[in-house]
Amino acid sequence: MSVASPSAPTRPTPPGPPAPGAHVRRKRRSSRSGGFVPYGLALPALFLLFALLGYPMVRMIVLSFQNMRLRELFNGLTPPWVGLDNYTRTLTDSVFWTVALRTTIFTVVSVALTVVIGLGVAMLMRRVAPSLRIAMIVVMMFVWAMPQLVATQIFRWLVDADFGVINYLLTLLGLDYESHSWFAEPLEGWSVITALVVWAGIPFIAITLNAGLTQVPKELLEAATVDGASPWQAFRNITLPILKQLIVIVTTLSVIWNFGLFTQPWVMRDGRPSSDYQTLATYAYSTAFKTNNYSLGSAISVITVILLAAVMVFYIRQMFKIGDVD
Amino acid sequence: MKRKIALAAALTATLLAAACGNDGSTSGTPDANASVDGKGKTLKVWLMVDAQSGWKNVVDQANERFTAATGAQVQIDYQQWGDHLAKVDATLAGSDVPDVMELGNTEMPKYVFNGAFHELDKAQYENSKDWLTGLSAPCEFEGKTWCVPYYAGARVLVYNTDLFTKAGVQPPKTYADVVAAAKALKQKNPGPKFSAFYAPGQHQYMGLAWAVSKGGTIAKQEGDKWVGTLSDPKVQEGLTNWKEITTFSSGDKTKNEQDQAAIFAQGQSGMMYGAGWEAGAAQEQPKDPNDPASEKVKTKVAGKVATVAMPEVPSFLGGSNVGITAKAQNPELAAQWIKIFTDSKSQELLIDKGALPNATSLLDKAAAKEGNEASAQAAKSSFFVPMAPKWAEVESANVIQQMLVSIATDKATVADATKKADDQINTILNS
Repeated sequence: MSVASPSAPTRPTPPGPPAPGAHVRRKRRSSRSGGFVPYGLALPALFLLFALLGYPMVRMIVLSFQNMRLRELFNGLTPPWVGLDNYTRTLTDSVFWTVALRTTIFTVVSVALTVVIGLGVAMLMRRVAPSLRIAMIVVMMFVWAMPQLVATQIFRWLVDADFGVINYLLTLLGLDYESHSWFAEPLEGWSVITALVVWAGIPFIAITLNAGLTQVPKELLEAATVDGASPWQAFRNITLPILKQLIVIVTTLSVIWNFGLFTQPWVMRDGRPSSDYQTLATYAYSTAFKTNNYSLGSAISVITVILLAAVMVFYIRQMFKIGDVD
Repeated sequence: MKRKIALAAALTATLLAAACGNDGSTSGTPDANASVDGKGKTLKVWLMVDAQSGWKNVVDQANERFTAATGAQVQIDYQQWGDHLAKVDATLAGSDVPDVMELGNTEMPKYVFNGAFHELDKAQYENSKDWLTGLSAPCEFEGKTWCVPYYAGARVLVYNTDLFTKAGVQPPKTYADVVAAAKALKQKNPGPKFSAFYAPGQHQYMGLAWAVSKGGTIAKQEGDKWVGTLSDPKVQEGLTNWKEITTFSSGDKTKNEQDQAAIFAQGQSGMMYGAGWEAGAAQEQPKDPNDPASEKVKTKVAGKVATVAMPEVPSFLGGSNVGITAKAQNPELAAQWIKIFTDSKSQELLIDKGALPNATSLLDKAAAKEGNEASAQAAKSSFFVPMAPKWAEVESANVIQQMLVSIATDKATVADATKKADDQINTILNS
């Protein structure tokens, strides 16, 4: 399932805004010369991409037009073709739309929280003493470096009803949290999952935006202050416009990651999430591998990819535009 | 280049072997009594983790006898229950498959139906005419036998004798006694962490046992269609009783039963509904919870745990079967290993470890063993899940668990939850 992409940052290099002058020259030189060399150099990467992503993707799309069940899997038979059956079945299934809506709401909430808090942390990093800033970066690097699976297990034990330390502490504070189940109410359970995803997502955004903030000219901010601008006005009219491109990029990436949320609800719910905890990725996986409806699961995955692509077109265009303007 | 050739050779060998394996399946049943020279061969066996943590000696002695008889070695891979079917599916789709595979008796029909196992000659396996129906029925398909019963487990009422004495209650003889005992225990131990009857909501074989306790069924066959019957009034009555039991539990109602023995071991639970061996697990836990093979240490409740057959509630007959995979590379060796692993000698060693044997003729021996009486008695009044080929998918899709959790957490009434589960069962079983 190619939709099961990680929902926490897998550390791409933060694209800091380039210094304007140097970039223009470099761009002009590379645009015409080279002939086939650039393509030749890109070939190994393209081949890897095709082998690792393209082939499974093609197989998945083919599979989604067939009806592959266990018998075909075990005996290597070619599954019968069923045309658009799997798609109509999925699109007319209210369960699918509930899951899609839940995934969308989660994505919007978690990305908004991650970006806002990440920006806040980045701004804070500009204000504190350099030694403290380094400490913050080191701590965030640790959070960033922690594998999703490990982080999820830790959170799961923190909120365990019978053995969890959160219930223990809340009970010490005099609240009625003895044996409290954090997953009985989906809203509460999703708060735990969102907290985990946001916690793991902040470092990438904070560190990237911190790099971006170094590009905001101090003189501009000082001049604004002299002219009587409030801190909020300075932030809105100077800092934000300069950061805008970066924010678009980190938001886009976060949306892609969080929309494919899988590990966190899967592990938190012990590999068998109830219907309240299904996301599009876990739903596709459960359909394909738990009920052995491989084709239906593939159709759900394909639809997920299309849904995500439709939402992302706007942002991806924005990203291309950013590239062009520079 | 050399490596490439080696790889190609290995691939060809595997393909050939796989092809031969398939030929084997068409040319009749593997002979468990054939004399095969297994020297230099390794039989690959997948067993579930219970064998590793519960009765490793049974496996070891079977391997020794097998190696002595055939000269072949055995490689055992222990699997975890949790998500093992996805792994099984992926493995069976490939060509390098284990020769012998253990599956739970509720999982078996789906795999037999889809051609994952070799047909067997039933008469070659000891006690085969007395096999427990709950285990052997999933092995039968189109009048043929496709797997061999391995062990069974019945669920019983596990209780804390110390807490019972302090609350002045006797071991229950009727269902009303159980409820009365729970009330007395709760009154005596008013603390918020105390569970008079620990009952996690996802414990589906507890919920299903109560569901059929008033004479209802889970699903029935009408012609060639399956119909869920959980919304039947008799089932609703049983589940209403179950719901009452869950109110005596202060534990997480959305949990499954995997850690219930560990929770019972803390001495804060009066009763629980578990497999016979869980009474032992509650009294002795591995020192390192992450390593089931580590040294066992006595828990707070050691010596204070007893079992009794749950009155007026039939027990789900759980258990496992072993079969020869259709793509097995050594089907005859596999048949011999299974024959040894499931014979009376191995079964008697299993009984010593608190599991139930695979045949009625051995049940009396199990009942004579101290601590086993309750499960042996419970096994006599048992029920089984519907014999639909796709029942395993109902389990994989968590239909029963979700129904139970929504009832236990007051998300849905018994009537609404059972209706919803019936709809899901109808869709899955008939798709």
